[in-house]
This record gives sequence, structure tokens and C-alpha cells, in this order.
Amino acid sequence: MDLEDFELIYKENRVKIKDKTKIESKLKTIVGLNNYSTKKIDILAYTKDSTLIGFNWEIEGKIAGIADFITWPETIEQISEILKLANQEKIPVIPYGEGSGVVGGAIPIYGGIIIDMKKFNKVITINDKNLTVTAEAGINGMNLERYLNTNGYTSGHIPQSLYTSSLGGWIAHRAAGQFSTKYGKIEDIVLGMEVVLPQGEIINFKTIARASTGPQLDKLFIGGEGTLGIVTKATLKIWPSPEKRALISYAFPTIENSFNAVREILREQIYPAVVRIYDKSETARHFPDIDNAKDKVMVIFICEGNSRLVDLEESITREKCEKNTGIECGEHPVEHWLETRFRVTETSSMPPYKIVFDTIEVASLWDNAADVYHRVLESMNQIKGVLMTTAHVSHFYPNGVGIYFSFGGVPPKGNSDLKFYQECWDTTIKAVLEAGGSIAHHHGIGLNRSHWMDNEWGNAMNTLRQIKKVLDPNNILNPGKIYIDTWKRSEI
Amino acid sequence: MGIEETLNKYKWMVPLLQKADRETRSTLMKNFRQRKKNFFPEGEFKADVDNLIKCMLCPNMCRFDCGTLQATLTETMSPAYKARIGYYLTIGKIDYADSEFVDLMYKCTNEETCKVWCPFDFSVVSLLETVRDDINAKGFMPDFCKEQIEKLKNSNTIEGYNIFETYKEKGIENIETKGKDDVFYYIGCESMKFPEVIKANIEILKTAGIKFSTNLDKKICCGGPAFNIRDMETAIEFANKNKELIESTGAKIIISDCPGCILTLKERYEKAGVKIEKEIIHTTQYFMKLINEERIKITKSIPEEYRKITIHDPCLISRNLNDTESIRNILGKIQGLELVEPIYNNENTHCCGWSGTAHWADRDLAIKQAQNRVNELKETGVNIFISACPLCELGLAYGLKETEKEKYNILDISEILIKVL
Ligand SMILES: Cc1cc2nc3c(=O)[nH]c(=O)nc-3n(C[C@H](O)[C@H](O)[C@H](O)COP(=O)(O)OP(=O)(O)OC[C@H]3O[C@@H](n4cnc5c(N)ncnc54)[C@H](O)[C@@H]3O)c2cc1C
Ligand code: SF4
Ligand code: SF4
Repeated sequence: MDLEDFELIYKENRVKIKDKTKIESKLKTIVGLNNYSTKKIDILAYTKDSTLIGFNWEIEGKIAGIADFITWPETIEQISEILKLANQEKIPVIPYGEGSGVVGGAIPIYGGIIIDMKKFNKVITINDKNLTVTAEAGINGMNLERYLNTNGYTSGHIPQSLYTSSLGGWIAHRAAGQFSTKYGKIEDIVLGMEVVLPQGEIINFKTIARASTGPQLDKLFIGGEGTLGIVTKATLKIWPSPEKRALISYAFPTIENSFNAVREILREQIYPAVVRIYDKSETARHFPDIDNAKDKVMVIFICEGNSRLVDLEESITREKCEKNTGIECGEHPVEHWLETRFRVTETSSMPPYKIVFDTIEVASLWDNAADVYHRVLESMNQIKGVLMTTAHVSHFYPNGVGIYFSFGGVPPKGNSDLKFYQECWDTTIKAVLEAGGSIAHHHGIGLNRSHWMDNEWGNAMNTLRQIKKVLDPNNILNPGKIYIDTWKRSEI
Repeated sequence: MGIEETLNKYKWMVPLLQKADRETRSTLMKNFRQRKKNFFPEGEFKADVDNLIKCMLCPNMCRFDCGTLQATLTETMSPAYKARIGYYLTIGKIDYADSEFVDLMYKCTNEETCKVWCPFDFSVVSLLETVRDDINAKGFMPDFCKEQIEKLKNSNTIEGYNIFETYKEKGIENIETKGKDDVFYYIGCESMKFPEVIKANIEILKTAGIKFSTNLDKKICCGGPAFNIRDMETAIEFANKNKELIESTGAKIIISDCPGCILTLKERYEKAGVKIEKEIIHTTQYFMKLINEERIKITKSIPEEYRKITIHDPCLISRNLNDTESIRNILGKIQGLELVEPIYNNENTHCCGWSGTAHWADRDLAIKQAQNRVNELKETGVNIFISACPLCELGLAYGLKETEKEKYNILDISEILIKVL
């Protein structure tokens, strides 16, 4: 069997490696024999991330992109050396965390060297007085959180992919957890970082609560998507495990009512840890047994922390919900969510029926949030083949929201799945931009969204490209993502 | 999921589907009808294709707790990837002759932590066993498996020689049945490597005045390795022989010091059509019962050097027999004993590396897994590790460096119990 038996999706512009044996021997010297492979079985394992169209390809025996070498460095110096070698030889390097990214960020579309960060998996220290934890960036999220929990803390960063994503991946994609309305997103949580730059230089952003020391350069690497540097270590805020939790839910007649209720809560500087609004379709899907929520918009809240504060937050939350025509639905819907929140079955269920399915999370200010929601639904419903478009809203700010759309459908006759998929994405993003929203809330750009970056950023995108060029003149670090449109436009 | 539950789960889609145009609906219906034609192999196969597909298309939601993945820290060892390779082998996308890929189908331990977290309740090793069935049927059983089968056939045990015959030189007393025992103490092949444990168990049973036999002259392996390898012919042969031996003792209760034997005698035999109608329990469970019935009494306090201990819960006791209490209850009755729990304990215990086929397929992997577990136990700051499974005790020993063997002591629960009776 040869890997050539698998149809390759991204086959253009692959790097041509002149002297593979030489690179092999140098890589082996850098990382050691045990941390290096070109075996078919390892190469095939790194041909994908969790981009949903990739699951359709997987069952059809297609592979998205293919690397030439896999490495599992154990020290920051090894990473630095790999990057220096890659610059000399002009070979792409792709950082790989846990492969849960959903925008193709970790797919080696041009080939090259995978740097799997899994061996950077240690918790270095917890500092109770400063309320910080320092850990290596390859650590799995759940393993970090379990460690914190046993010591009486939480990071408050609980993405749905907690079980299958890494700290470095969170930083790379500016991730957001389910409890983010209280604890913040990853950029609010990271206080310090160690990064290897594309040319191998190691830099350190010291851990500090806040400083006024010129521009906040560290933020460049939060959302850098593995294109500007490889994060090897980070210090995060942590919190003592909450003393009390209040579980609250209300059903509203319209999405607008629910938006108003949540907006008014946040306006009072009340930050429930979890707020989730489900549109009518998603309410029907997740809460079919709740009579009060029939044909309504369900909203669930979790307030947590100091018990006196929680009591106050709970009472204001209830007051605002009731004022906005919310009907009490009790604790059960929240308990149901808590029980099922990591039970991901959709990615497995759709591809065998050739259903193309994906989620697109976008952001907007409050004043156009409802417009973004309705426009996306209306325009998606025009697409031939789309069976459903639904949404929930799970990240909130006093100034706006993150809306999470899910769509599914079957490509009409003559359309490839990728073409249909891209049409759905195009339509959603166009509607979002027209309504004044932003194209991504927390999944990042990767391959899937690079097409709209100029539109999103305007001429600031030129500045971003220049920064990339300064840091990575040979364009070796995770090329083909963010800055250029590598989606298979030719197939459209 | 039952039909009613499935219909309920997807009810929300009905209004959305009704809105779709006719062509879209008919494409969808066609896709539903043709799922097997599109994605299942032709001809005969045993692989559980439906569930392999589900698992391979999952974003590896159990990866953080998978022992083999955490030991190797590579995507190649991730649960969903194993299922993906299983699927590709089954549909012929990867050739059975490609041993690199076939071998991966054996690199699972039987710990099944995947099952704890899996939304589908899958145990990956069980899915891979169905792939192993096809590998065997097509004549591609790996050599490391053939070797084990050879040993079973030649010596009736897991070693190249009959390990039960070593009882005399190890000073283990053999008690042959006269057909009217209360209990058959079913000693595992692996347990024979720990004569002190067997001696302790025998002494405890004697102290309680139990009428029991060990039948070491007739004793053979339970056939566990053949079940793991899925050489079902050999497995059933062992099941039948064991059934005969067990029935010849007249005992109503079968106790074993090896949780692997219990799994095989209880569950695997029955699945293979050989049911043993006896109570089959672990020695720990039986000893707890004896303590409750006051047939054995803890009279002494624990010697100082054994005062502080930690527990390694064997996967098969905590997740298969669902019993994390017996061992703790026994220890709890010992005066002066201080138990320091490791972070991963009870049903969240981690594997010692030595269960299933992984240690034959990739010894380094098993050792790494053992080291991971030993490190977790060491984090308790305690240097006595108590367990209740000979394979665990073997695996943990592999996890210790030569230089650490003096410092750390791996003991079976019976070795502690015997000190306080
Ligand atoms: C079921 C499911 C649920 C999800 N839920 C959420 C959610 O609730 N919130 C959310 O924000 N996201 C969610 N995601 C998306 C995904 O989990 C996140 O994007 C996550 O941050 C990716 O982490 P990873 O370690 O898997 O990264 P990977 O997929 O391995 O890589 C992602 C990107 O990060 C880069 N990268 C990885 N490690 C490093 C490093 N150390 N330094 C520099 N670059 C690096 C890679 O090159 C790549 O570009 C979900 C995904 C799935 C499949
Ligand atoms: S065992 Fe379950 S959770 Fe683990 S990868 Fe397979 S489907 Fe996912
Ligand atoms: S059976 Fe064990 S080794 Fe195999 S996937 Fe499950 S947890 Fe991992």
C-alpha cells in the first residue's frame, strides 16, 4: 500500500524536497530517533485536523494534506533547531497540537515537517498567591483542568473540545470556552508566554498582571495560528473552584427577547459564567421534553463563584429574564446541558449519509446581532441542498455576542461536497459582513476563512502581511493559512 | 440507541426537512438507502464497520485518557486513528499484508478508558477485536500473536513451559479436589510468577476454614490470550477444558487472584457459548465477604514499614467488575494504615501497560505506559503500591527503573492482609 492510493485534496504548491535523506539525518540528529518518523503509518496520522468537511473526505478515503516528516520534539532548543533547518532548506513547518482545530490550521497542505507539541505536556507550577498556573503548551486541556481541579482550582477555560485540544492550540486560535462570559477568552487568561519565532529565536513574555511597556506584542501570538511562532509554554490565570453554582433557565418567544434579556444582565455588570441562547430549531433539538420551551428560544445560565455574589447574580438574571417575557424552565435544562456538553456525535453521524455539515461562529455588536442571525438564516435557506441552518449564541460581552451557526445539507447533483461546502461558507460570511459582523468568533481563520481576510481587515491586512514577512521571511511557518486564499477556489 | 430514542433524537429535524425541496430530499433518501453500498466492503467480513466509522469520524473525544496515546504522545496511537486504520483495512484501502498497519490493531490495552468518556459507549479494543477476526480469517495473524498461541498449545499456559508445574520448586502447596469443595481457588498463569501472593491467599483461605482446592496439577490457562488475539478455536478449546475442571471441583464459588481470568471465565466464555454457572469473583471480593462474616479477623496492627500505602486499582476490577470498594474496605479495616490515593484512582484508574495484546505488539509502548502509571503513583509520595492483579504487579515493576526497585515495593492486597490476621 502506498499513501498515493489516497486521493490528495491539497496537492498544488507542495514543497519539492531535493535531498530527503540529508534532511532526515539532520532531523534525527536534532530530535533523536524516537522523536522522528517518515513511516507511512505516522504520516497518514497527520493528514487531517477536525475540519468537518475533512470527515467526509476521510470516509471516502481521501486525505487533505500530507507531510514529509513528523517530529515530536521534547525541548524548546530542538524546536528552534528544526526551524533553523527549515529556513535553510525552505521547508514548511506545521505546528500540531491535538488536531481539534476546525479550520484546517494544522493540515500540512504544502508538505514539510510536522512539529507535534504533545511532548510538551507538563504542568510546571501553580502559584496560589498570584493565582497562576504555568504549563507547557502541548498539554491536553482536560489533563490540565483535571490537574487544576485536584488542586482546588479551575482555569475557567472549558471549550467543548476540552478533551481533545491543547493549550498551544487554544492560544493559536484565540479560543473561547463555554464559561467565558465570566472567566474571559484565552486572550484574557494568558499572562505570560514562551515562543519560538519562525527563524528559531526563542523569546519570552514575562508573566505580569498588566504592564505599560509599549505595544502589547504578546497578543500577536494569541491568534497567530502557528504562523508567527510556536508557543512552548504559557502562564494562565486560575481561580479557586467555585463555592456555589446556580442553574437557571428561561424560554423566550423570540431571539430578540432573549438578546435583550442577556444584554440587560451584562449591562448591570453581571457576568454569569455560562449563557447559552438556543434558537427555536436548536431548542427543539436539545430540549424536546421541556414543555415551557415548545416553539420558543431557550436560554440557560450558570452563575458561579462566591455564594453571596451568586445569589445576587441569580436574582438580577431572573429579574431581567422575567422583564423580557422569559418563562422559567427550572434547573433541568441546565443539568441536561452539563451532562451532554462533551458528547459530540454529529461529526460521526453525518458523513455516512454524505451530509455536508459544519459550524460557523461569527461575532457582532449588540445593535446588529439580530440582523446577523436573520440574514444568515435567510440566505442559507436559499441554497439548494441545504437541509438545515440553526444557531445558538454562547459568548457574550456587554457590547456584543458570538453567534454559532450550524448547517447541514447534501450537495445537489453535479456539485462536489467541497463546492457545496464553500457555497454555504461564502453565503454565511457574506451575510455576516453585510450585516456588519465579524467573520470569526473563536475557531480562527486557518484555510477555511483566509478567503475573507482582506474583506474583514481592510488595508490593515497589509500590515499583518508585513509583520509575517519580517518574522518569517522564508514563509516556512505554517504557510498557506490566514494570509493567502488557498481554498480550492479552482473547484468552484 | 433504540428506534424510539433515535426517532425522538431526530424529531427536531422533521420540520426542517419538510421545508427542503424535492430533489434535496430525494438525494438524502438515496444517501440513507445507499450508505452500506457506498461505505461498506463487499463480501464477508466480521469487522464492526458501522461503529468503526463512527469512531474514526469522532474528534478523538477520549484521547486525553487513552493510556497508549498518553504513553506514546503521537496521533498514530489515538483511538479514532486506530478505528480509521481498522476501517481502511476492512474496505481494502490498506492491505492486510502491510504489517505496520495490521500491528496497530493490537496496540490497545484492555483498560478501556475510552469507554468511560465515549458518547457512543465504545471500547476501541472491542472494535479492534472485530478487525482482528478478519485479519485472522484472511491468514494475516501477526507473528507475535502466533507465538502466544503456540505457547498455549504447547504448554497449556502463557509460557513456553507449563508454569503451573513450577509450584513445587516455588514452595506453593497444591490442593487437589475431591469433588466436593466450597471454593475453587483459580490461580492465574501470571499469578504463578508471584508465589508469595498465592501462598498468602492459601493461608487466608485456610485461616477462614474454607474447603477449597487449587488443582495445580490439572490447571491450565483460562485462554485469555487466545480471546485477545481472537483465535476463537483455541479460545473455545480452553473454555471447554476449564469448564470441565471447574465443574469437577463441585465448588459453587470460583475465586481468582487474576481479574483477567475472571473476565474470561465470566464474560468471554459466555459470549463464546460456554457458560459457567458459578459465582466467579476476585479474591479481594471474597476476602471482604469473609471479613464481613467474621470468618477472618484482623487482629494485628500493620507493621510500621507498611503503614503508608497507595493503591493502583486494576482496570478490570474497577471498570469491568465495577468494584472499587472491596480493596478499600479491606484496607480501611486495618488499624494504623494510611492510604494516600493517587489522582487517577477508582473508575478513573490508569492502566499498568500489561493488559491485552499491546505488550506483545510493542513492548516499549507497554513499558512507557507502565512508567506513566508508576509516576502517577510516585506523586503520592508513598513507596508502597498495593494492587490486586498479577499483570498490574508485573507491569508496574516494568515501570520502575532498576535503581528504584529497592525504594518502591509493589505488593498484592493479600500480602498486606496476611500480615494483620
Ligand atoms: C468537538 C469540538 C468542539 C470545539 N469546541 C470549541 C470551543 O468550545 N471553543 C473554541 O474556541 N474552539 C473549539 N473547537 C475548536 C478547537 O478545539 C480549537 O480551535 C482548539 O483551540 C484547537 O486546539 P488544538 O490543540 O487541537 O490545535 P490543532 O488543531 O492541533 O492546531 C490548531 C492551530 O494551532 C496551531 N498550533 C497548535 N499548537 C501550537 C503551538 N503550540 N504554537 C503555535 N501554534 C500552534 C496549529 O498549527 C494550527 O494552526 C472545537 C473543536 C471540536 C472538534
Ligand atoms: S472511542 Fe468514542 S470518544 Fe473515543 S475516539 Fe472513538 S468514538 Fe470518540
Ligand atoms: S482500549 Fe485503551 S488503549 Fe485502546 S483506545 Fe481505549 S483507552 Fe486507548
